Amino acid sequence: MAKKTEERRQRVGIDVGGTFTDFVWLDGGRLTVHKGPTTPRDQSRAIVDGLDALGVAGDAAVVHGTTVATNALLERRGARTALLTTEGFADVLAIGRQNRPHLYRLSLRRPPPLVPAAGRFEAPERLDAHGRTLIPLDETAVERVAERLAAEGIESLAVVFLFSFRNPAHERRAAEIIRARCPGVMLSLSHEILPEYREYERTATTVINAYVQPLVARYLARLDEALGARAAAQGRPPGTRRVMQSNGGAIGLRQAAAQAARLVLSGPAGGVVGAFALAKQAMNTETPEIITFDMGGTSTDVALCPGAMPHTSESVIAGLPLRLPTTDIHTVGAGGGSIAHVDAGGVLRVGPESAGADPGPVCYGRGGERPTVTDANLVLGRLHPDRFLGGSDAVRLDAAAARDALARLGRRLGLSPEAAALGVLRVANATMERALRRVSVERGHDPRAHTLVPFGGAGPLHACDLADALGIRRVLVPPNPGVLSALGLLMADVVYDASHAVLREAAALVEDPGPLREAALALGASVREVLRKDGFAEIALEVRLDLRYAGQSYELDVPLGTPLSGASVARAVAAFHAAHEKRYGHARADAPVEVVTLRVRGAASVAPPDLPAEPPADADASVARLDASPVWFGGEAPTPTPGYDRDRLRHGHRFEGPAVVFQYDTTLVVPPGRSVRVDARRNLWVER
Amino acid sequence: MDPILIELYRHRFSGVADEMGVTLRRTSYSPNIKERLDFSCAVFDGAGGLVAQAAHIPVHLGAMPASVAAALAAFPVWRPGDVVALNDPYEGGTHLPDVTMISPVFLDDAGEAPRFFVASRAHHADVGGMTPGSLPLSTELYQEGLIIPPVKLYRAGVRNDDLLRMLLRNVRTPEERRGDLAAQRAAHTVGERRLRELVARHGAEEVLAYAAHLQAYSERLVRAAVAAWPDGAYAFEDALVLDDDGPAERVPIRVCARIEGDAVTFDFTGTAGAVDRSFNAVLGITQSACYYVVRCLAGEDVPVNAGCFAPVTVTAPEGCLVNARPPAAVAGGNVETSQRIVDVALGALAQALPGRIPAASQGTMNNLTIGGLRADGTPYAYYETIGGGMGAAPDADGLSGVHVHMTNTLNTPVEALEMTFPFRITRYALRRGSGGRGRHTGGDGLVRAYEFLAPATVTMLSERRDAGPWGLAGGAAGLPGRNVLRRADGSEETLPSKFTRRLLPGDRLRIETPGGGGHGAPEDGPPPRT
Repeated sequence: MAKKTEERRQRVGIDVGGTFTDFVWLDGGRLTVHKGPTTPRDQSRAIVDGLDALGVAGDAAVVHGTTVATNALLERRGARTALLTTEGFADVLAIGRQNRPHLYRLSLRRPPPLVPAAGRFEAPERLDAHGRTLIPLDETAVERVAERLAAEGIESLAVVFLFSFRNPAHERRAAEIIRARCPGVMLSLSHEILPEYREYERTATTVINAYVQPLVARYLARLDEALGARAAAQGRPPGTRRVMQSNGGAIGLRQAAAQAARLVLSGPAGGVVGAFALAKQAMNTETPEIITFDMGGTSTDVALCPGAMPHTSESVIAGLPLRLPTTDIHTVGAGGGSIAHVDAGGVLRVGPESAGADPGPVCYGRGGERPTVTDANLVLGRLHPDRFLGGSDAVRLDAAAARDALARLGRRLGLSPEAAALGVLRVANATMERALRRVSVERGHDPRAHTLVPFGGAGPLHACDLADALGIRRVLVPPNPGVLSALGLLMADVVYDASHAVLREAAALVEDPGPLREAALALGASVREVLRKDGFAEIALEVRLDLRYAGQSYELDVPLGTPLSGASVARAVAAFHAAHEKRYGHARADAPVEVVTLRVRGAASVAPPDLPAEPPADADASVARLDASPVWFGGEAPTPTPGYDRDRLRHGHRFEGPAVVFQYDTTLVVPPGRSVRVDARRNLWVER
Repeated sequence: MDPILIELYRHRFSGVADEMGVTLRRTSYSPNIKERLDFSCAVFDGAGGLVAQAAHIPVHLGAMPASVAAALAAFPVWRPGDVVALNDPYEGGTHLPDVTMISPVFLDDAGEAPRFFVASRAHHADVGGMTPGSLPLSTELYQEGLIIPPVKLYRAGVRNDDLLRMLLRNVRTPEERRGDLAAQRAAHTVGERRLRELVARHGAEEVLAYAAHLQAYSERLVRAAVAAWPDGAYAFEDALVLDDDGPAERVPIRVCARIEGDAVTFDFTGTAGAVDRSFNAVLGITQSACYYVVRCLAGEDVPVNAGCFAPVTVTAPEGCLVNARPPAAVAGGNVETSQRIVDVALGALAQALPGRIPAASQGTMNNLTIGGLRADGTPYAYYETIGGGMGAAPDADGLSGVHVHMTNTLNTPVEALEMTFPFRITRYALRRGSGGRGRHTGGDGLVRAYEFLAPATVTMLSERRDAGPWGLAGGAAGLPGRNVLRRADGSEETLPSKFTRRLLPGDRLRIETPGGGGHGAPEDGPPPRT
C-alpha cells in the first residue's frame, strides 16, 4: 500500500520519439511537461538527462515507452537470430502466406526474412493435430544444431514446432538441449510466445521476439543500471521502473526483457491510453466512448474505444504478422507532410508520397517544392506563420512560398490558391474519414455516439472538419496534445496477457466446463506469478474467449464470467451471437459455436492519478484573445477569425467559433457553428 | 466535374466495396474465401456499369460486369430485397465454383428501377460434379457440378427455400455452402446500407453523377498510359499441354496486340479450338487476363471501374479455346488457361515495351482438390493452390514461392488443415535453384508434400510440367514443375500435369512448382546486390 501511495505522489511518464523524448512528471498534485532531444544510440541517456533537468527524485516511479524493439525491427538491426523448426518447415518463415504484396506490379521486391536460409534449422519431430507424438524429437539433431549456433555466433534462437500449442514437450526438450550446450543463446519458444494455431503467424511472432529480445534486454539492463546509479547518488532507493507494452499496459523490466515482442507496437498505444484515461476523468465515467485521432507529419493513428481500451491480436509490423494482444489502432500513411498533386486524369490527389521531416513542407523553407497538407493549412490561415512551435525562430513558416506552391497546383485545376488549398484539405480529410469509418461504422459502432479526441501535431487542425463529416458533436482537446503518449504512460495500469488454444465446440464446454476451468485456473496462476514477481499482489483477472461459428476462420472475443461454469460459457456464446450481429449484421443462433482461444488478462491498478483540476474562472475568454486574422473555411472569402492563446485559457472560459487556438506544439481550428469551453483540467470541449 | 469530388468519391465507392469484402471474408466458411481470399465484391450503377471493385485476385478483374449483365437480361423487374445467384459460365459466370450474387439497391426517391447494384463473387469449396472440389478433368460442363443460371435466391427479402434445398442437395458440403451464401448476402446488406447512407448525405444526384464521372476519369488515365506505348502490332504464341490421356498434346494460344493511339486490341485469332477437357475459357476470363496486363502497365492507382476497360478490346473467334461456347468444359480455364493468356499478352507487349515486361512466371496455379470421407463418415472437399516462382523483371529478381498474375490466394495453414482433414503436410519449402538464371534470377518454386490418412480422390490441374516458364532478353527458363506420387508400397511414379487418382492411406504426393524465368543474359554482368 505504501508503494502505491508513493507512486501516486511521484511518477514520470517518459515517451521516446524520433526527435524528442517527452516527459510528463506528476509531482504531488502538479503536472510538469518537458521535452528533450532523443539520444538514438542509447535512449536511456536522454532519460537520465531529462530527469536531471526536471529535478525528479531518484525514487520516483518511472514508466517508459521505448522504441528500441520497434526500431530494431523496422531498421533490421536485430540480433543474429536462428530458427529451429519441425523438419520440412524451415521455410515457412520465408514463404509466409504465399501471396505477393502488390497485385498489379510486375516487378516486386520484398525485404529478406529476419532469419536467412543459412540460419533456419530443422529437427525431425512431429505431433498430430491433437498433440500426440507421431515422430519423437531427434535429440542428436538438436545437438548438432546447438553446435552450429555456437560456431556461427548466434545470439538468439526461435523454436517453432508444429502443434506445440497442443503439446509443448518437444519445444521444451529442444530448449533444454540448446540451453545446456549454448547457455549464452537467448531462447524464444513458440508455445510460450504465442500458444495459438497457424504456424506462419506463430513462427513470425516468435522470430520477432527472438530478433529484438537481446537488444531490448541489454537496453533495459542499461536503463535499470542508470536509474539505479542516479538514485544511489541521491542516497535513495530506486523507484519502480516499468515499460509500456503494445497492449496498452505497463510491465516490469524483467518480464519486458523476457517477451520483448510485446513492446514492438507500444509506441502508438501510449497515446490511446492517455486519451482514454484523460477522457475518463474529463467525462467523469469509467467507460467513455471515444475515438482517438493522432495525426502527425507522415502518418495518422486512429482508435475507437467503446467504453474500454480496444484490443486486437491481428497486427502487422514490417510486413510480418504479430499475433500478440495489441491496442487496436488503425494507421494510415497520410499526415501533414502528405504531398498534393494533380494526376494524369486531372484529379487532385494527396499522398501517398510524403515530404516527411526533410525537406518537409514548402513552408519550412528547407527545399520542399511540392505543396503539402501543412502548406494548405498555412495558406488558409489555419496555421499562423509566427506561432508555429511557439513562434520559435527555428521554424518560422514561409507563407509566401506555400502560397506560390498552392497557386501552381491551383492553376492546373483552374482554381485559386485558396480553393486549391481547401481541396487539398478535403481530399486529405477523406483519407482520415475513411480511417475513422474503418474503426467505427465498419465494426458496428456509431461514430456519432463518440467523442473525438485529437492529438499529435496536426490532429486538432483537422478534428472539427472530421467530426462534422462523421456527425460527431463533441471534440475533446487535451491540455498538452503533443505529449499525450507520455501522459498515457503515467496513467497506464500494469497488465499481463496470456492465452491458451482451446479449439473445442462451445456446446461441449457448456456441458462440461471442467477443461476450460482448469485451463483458466492455470493461466490465471501464471499471470499472477508474473505480476507477483514485479511486486504486485492485488491483481484483477479478466477472462475472455475468442469464439467463432464452427468452420469460420475469424473470431470475436467476448467476456467470460467467473466463477467459470456451464452457464457462464453459455452466456459468452450468447454474447458472441450478439457481437456477430452487431459487427457483421447477421448471426446464426442455431449454428454450432467453437471456442478457439482462452485469454486471461491480469491487471494491477497503479491508481491512476487525478489530473490536476482548478476552480472556475469567469466565462470571459478575452484575456486569452489574440488578434483576429483571415481564415478560410470554404466559400469565396476568408472569415475574420480571432486567435486564442491556449496557455491563457482557464477553467470556465467560453467562446464561439470561428476561432483558432494556438499552443506550443499544435493548433486547434474551430469552425463557425462550434463553441468552445474550458473544463477544470483545462481540456477544451469543442461542441456543436 | 469537380477534380476534388472525384477523389472523394473514389474513396467513398471503394470504401463500400472494401467493407463488403471485410464482411464476406470474416463470416464465410469455405477456406477458399476466408483463408485464401478467393472472392471479390463490387458496386455497379443502375445500368450495370462497374463503379468500384474490391478484388483480391485479378482473375475477377472486370469479370463481374458480365454477371450483372446476365442478371439484368434474365430479370427485367427488380424489387428491394431480391438477390440473384448464378454460376453458369455461359450466362455471366466463369467456372462453376465461382458463385456470383447480385442485389439491387433502390433509393427512396427513385421510382421502379434500382439505381445501383452490389455484387459478390466467391469461390465455393464444392458445387458438386464428378470430383470433390468441382475442378475436375471434365469433358463437358455438365460434369463439373451444379449449373446455376441467373435465379432469384431471394425475392423481396424472402428466401426461396425450395431452390436452396435443391442447390444444397447437389453439393458435397451443404452446410458450408449455406454459410457461404449467407456471408455473401451479409456483404450485400452492408454494401446496400453504405450506398444508401452516401445518398442520404450527399444527395442522389451527386452520388449518381460521380459514379459516372469516376468511370470517365479511369478511362482518361488508362488512355493516357496506352498513348505512351509505341503503336504497332505485336504477336506472340505459347501453349497449354494436355497430357492426362495419351501422348502430350500442345494447344497453342496466339495473340496479336495492336496498339493504336490510346487504345489497344488483343486479338486471339489463330488460337486452337476448344478442347474436350476442362481448360476452355469463356471470353470473360480472356478479358480479365488482358485487363490485368493493361492495369499492371497503366498503374495500380487507377480506380477499377468500367472506364478502365473501355480502351481495351479483346476479340477471339467464337468457339476457340479462349472464347468457349456451351457445353465446353471450363473448370480449368479460369485457373490455368487464364495464366497462359497473361503470358502471351505479356510476351506480345514485351516487344513493344522491352524495359517493362518480366520473364514468364510459374504460369499455373497448381490446383489440387482432395475429397473423401472423414473418420466420422462426413464428406469433405478441399481445394488449394500452390505458389511458385515469379518471373524476373528487367530491374529485379522474381519473388520466390508466391502466387503470380491472375491469383493471389493465401495458403491454408497446415495447423488449420490438419485439424479438419484426414491428410497431413509433411514438407512445405522453397524449391531452391528452380528459378531461371539471368542478370536477374527468376523466383524459386515451392515443394509441398502430402501424406494421406484415409482414401481420397485427388485431382490436379497444373501446367508447365514439360518445359519451364520462358526467360526474356537472354535469361534462362525456370525449372518445370513435377507431380510425384509415392505409393504406400514404396513405388514411385511421376504423374502428368493433370490427373485424377484415388489415393490410399500411406500414399504420399509431392508437388514441385515451376520456377520463374530469368531476365537478361547472365554474362551481362553479375546481378546487382539486393
